[in-house]
Amino acid sequence: MKKFYRCFVCGDIHYGVKPPEVCPTCLVKNAYVEISSAEAERTMEPVMTTMTRDEFRRVIERFAEKNEFQVNPDTAKVEMLFDGIFANEQNHGFKYCPCRLRTKDFNEDLKLVCPCHFIVHETYKGKTDGECWCGLFVRRKK
Amino acid sequence: MSRLIMFHARECPHCRVMMPLVDQLEKEQKIRFEKLEIWHDEKNADLMRSYRPVIAPKCGGQLRTPTFFNPETSAVLCGEVPYDKLKEWALSQG
Ligand code: SF4
Ligand SMILES: [Zn+2]
Repeated sequence: MKKFYRCFVCGDIHYGVKPPEVCPTCLVKNAYVEISSAEAERTMEPVMTTMTRDEFRRVIERFAEKNEFQVNPDTAKVEMLFDGIFANEQNHGFKYCPCRLRTKDFNEDLKLVCPCHFIVHETYKGKTDGECWCGLFVRRKK
Repeated sequence: MSRLIMFHARECPHCRVMMPLVDQLEKEQKIRFEKLEIWHDEKNADLMRSYRPVIAPKCGGQLRTPTFFNPETSAVLCGEVPYDKLKEWALSQG
């Protein structure tokens, strides 16, 4: 089960099955202490924000930069997908994938939050012109 | 002609491609699809979810859009396909 942890040195919060062995921010070893979800929420409350389209665009571009894929250069397609992603966040709470339907099983549906782990999917894996289900991400040409 | 459903999503690029092909097919043949949008209509979404056990295994384990579906026979065709494949599938539904 996933839990919250707080770095006792720099205060970073981690949510996961296991805490990081080394804090990625302050590099201190064995620094994470389990906290309650209520404490985690209070820690995050003053900084809770939503993301604008431009912010999300920058975020996924930065994410793709270090990977073997890129955001689709077809900007019209990307804009349409953003319409869906942001409508889904507004209506259903998460940036769910615009070309698949959620099942209403909470954990199952976390796999549908954009960006998803599409590199294992049949539309991408092993394909030279692979793309995510929706074509938001495409394999970068060599 | 049996009842055929097209589950689609408003902001899905594959549906954007398939919609004109479906329109063309409906004009050419005596075929009608019931077009149900699933991200902006929870009733349609629930209907698609109710078919998840038959649809998902044939679509990479997912409820993808578009999905063409025959509720009578549980025949499924999913994703973006060439016009001829759509036509062949639809005509074979009887
Ligand atoms: S398939 Fe593409 S658009 Fe859909 S959630 Fe995954 S990365 Fe996002
Ligand atoms: Zn730290």
